[in-house]
Amino acid sequence: MNRSTKTNHKGNEMNLIDKRNQLITAAAALVLSAGSALAGPADNSLTIGIGEEPPGFDGYISTARDGVMMTRHLFDMLVYRNPETFEYEPLLATSWTRIDDLTWEFKLREGVTFHDGSAFDAEDVVWTLTTYADPETGARSQASVNWIDKVEAVDPMTVRIVSKTPFPAAMEFIAGSLPIYPSDYAQEVGLQGFAQAPVGTGPYKYVSGDSGQFTLEAHDGYYEGGGKGTPAIEKLNVRIIPDTATRIAEVIGGNVDWIWNVPQDQVAQLGGLPNVTAELGSTMRIAMVGMDAAKRANPDSPMADLKVRQAINHAIDRDAIVANLVGGDGEVINVPCYPMQFGCDTSAAVTYDYDPEKAKALLAEAGYADGFKVKMSSYRDRSRAEAVQSYLAAVGIEADLEMVQARASFSAWREGDVDIWYGDWGSFSIADASASLGNFFNGSTNDGARDQAVMDLVAKAGSSVDEDDRKAAYSEAIKAITEKAYWVPMHTIVMGYAYTTGLEFTPNVDELPRFFLAKWAD
Amino acid sequence: MARLILRRSALALFVVFAISIICFLLSHVAVDPAAGVAGDSATDEDLAAIRMQYGFDQPLIVQYGDYLAGVLRGDLGNSYLSGEPVSQLIAERIPATALLACLSIGFALALAVPLGVLAALRPNSLLDRLALTLAVVGQAVPNFWAGLLLILLFGVNLGWLPISGSATLAHFVLPAITLGSFAMPALMRLIRAGMIEVLEADYIRTARAMGLSNRKILFRYALRNAILPVISLTAVQFGFMLGGSIIVESVFAIQGVGYLAWQSMSRSDMPVIQAIVLFISMIYILLTLFADLLNAVLDPRIREHG
Repeated sequence: MNRSTKTNHKGNEMNLIDKRNQLITAAAALVLSAGSALAGPADNSLTIGIGEEPPGFDGYISTARDGVMMTRHLFDMLVYRNPETFEYEPLLATSWTRIDDLTWEFKLREGVTFHDGSAFDAEDVVWTLTTYADPETGARSQASVNWIDKVEAVDPMTVRIVSKTPFPAAMEFIAGSLPIYPSDYAQEVGLQGFAQAPVGTGPYKYVSGDSGQFTLEAHDGYYEGGGKGTPAIEKLNVRIIPDTATRIAEVIGGNVDWIWNVPQDQVAQLGGLPNVTAELGSTMRIAMVGMDAAKRANPDSPMADLKVRQAINHAIDRDAIVANLVGGDGEVINVPCYPMQFGCDTSAAVTYDYDPEKAKALLAEAGYADGFKVKMSSYRDRSRAEAVQSYLAAVGIEADLEMVQARASFSAWREGDVDIWYGDWGSFSIADASASLGNFFNGSTNDGARDQAVMDLVAKAGSSVDEDDRKAAYSEAIKAITEKAYWVPMHTIVMGYAYTTGLEFTPNVDELPRFFLAKWAD
Repeated sequence: MARLILRRSALALFVVFAISIICFLLSHVAVDPAAGVAGDSATDEDLAAIRMQYGFDQPLIVQYGDYLAGVLRGDLGNSYLSGEPVSQLIAERIPATALLACLSIGFALALAVPLGVLAALRPNSLLDRLALTLAVVGQAVPNFWAGLLLILLFGVNLGWLPISGSATLAHFVLPAITLGSFAMPALMRLIRAGMIEVLEADYIRTARAMGLSNRKILFRYALRNAILPVISLTAVQFGFMLGGSIIVESVFAIQGVGYLAWQSMSRSDMPVIQAIVLFISMIYILLTLFADLLNAVLDPRIREHG
């Protein structure tokens, strides 16, 4: 099968699926009033519909979004990052100090118990972090743990985490990706057993489950004074419903109280139903058009020419895409990072306005007056990708667009199969530019530029603990990246949520739903 | 007869082996399995770690050799994602899929047999045309679309039946109708054609001349002969049900083998995908073998010349 028929085939399939999703909301809108009796508020439970079955409940293994969401409910990290202010708040640790460039010391909370009743202390922290810092254990996201050199108990309620080299983003990972397990229980049942019957200190405990659904219950003995507060909803029923249209139908029918990943165009229609609240929440996920300046896809790639990349920056009307196709609070960005991340200095960026005439002139200067052909890959949203495709066509660049699944599209970009990639990046919810710039301009396979000067700056900013030095290095990197137009920084992504009216739920920019903060209205 | 069984079985074994090679190659060449396992925000380091851990860095022939050796020992391996044994994952999900397939075939036959017979009795009548239209629609409408329409009508608008899940028998009604309506048309057309042919046969004319009742002619003589090819087609359709269940189980969130297949495909869980393909093709081959043998038992002509 050749490439172009593949594209068409996949295209039709995707269109069909889009149409199906539209059908379900359109048809449901015809139902005058769904008026079904809702179980949720009556017994203070919440039924959540997710698309993928998590591969167990080990937070170091189950790293897809739905899995991370469950990890945050079952387990606690040492610290909690407030989703509104991005400040660190006490959780399992009540205070922390930096001893030196490599070492953080944490005072642990007294009187915390795991779901099985055992007491929490330094031994649990040391065992959990030491175990997963070992690459042999097989943590899925090595970046979360491979900076840890050693973890040691100073006394039963004090631990020190020592990094291999100065690691400025340490607190972000400690607050974001490092849940603490009960060492005795986990060793007794083994990590595989633990993933099937997890025990944590989190606000919810695992009660039961078989394939297709599982139940969490509020942890009665959950400590007070932590950043997560005390959960109001008593029971979380989680159902796995792979098909988007079916998930939407379940919410309309009132059998499921909460879903996410609702397609943007469905949100308005769903919101029109009396029993459903639908909204688009902003996220810290940024979309970009990456260009293969390093000529991985093609040794004669026009993308290697600065003028061509500048032309592409001028060719795309990002404001129109955001206003018409992103929706919600989606915003145009001019930087190759999320503006709220540490080091993401928006003032350092060179910006490009929408000016197709200028784009054409630049292409002519570069010797491409008659345009050229490129391969392009994207995944999340067909209409946006096609908009970019047609903006490129308007200045003479013919992009052969391949819409595939996210994983396949990432592979195409990383393996250098495409010249242009319209992708996005959630920075693992980490509020530090090391998670964005540090993943796309560090010489890794994600890096389509491979600019040594930029790589050096990013490496410097990622390994210094002096905040001013870091900021300066990131600013310089951002200036260089935008000057050389390696990306078209596009926009932030919005996440579609739909839930039973009466649920008080606030979406967060880090795309981590927090049901311990949700409650049913009286 | 023994020779026939032996020959068909050898052929079946060869087909299973060929399928295992094709499936293994396709699943390793089509996508980078490490990228599938790692998810879409993995770093190079994560990918390298996964390649090491699961041996993706080994030559394909070595990987296949390891896999085949495992299969021959009866070890289908462990899921990359959950680490659970694949055989256990599949075994847990067989009951739901088997129930769905049986209900679907039951629904298809319950519709196909009477419709086919009635249509054959009065070819080109209004009823015949209606039945044929139904067959065309049933075969033309994709499963996932039909399923959604049923969900909308009976699940959302009327609220009579649960929309998704596999907790109770009621959860299987909509999926069984969806899957069954896909199998029904072929069965119905075969019954109709067979009945028309048989009803024109000499022995039926003789039976009529002898003054036997219409009912007796229809059920004792005509249907019995017309149904022969339907038996083998039913067996084949049953195999189709297993393949079709991939879509239907995903739409209705039924925790069966089909949904497991879909989930494993989207996450490149190779051991599970390979085991399911092998499992479904083996069932398919067994059913075809069974149909062949059954035909041989029922029809002496095949037994002697087959």
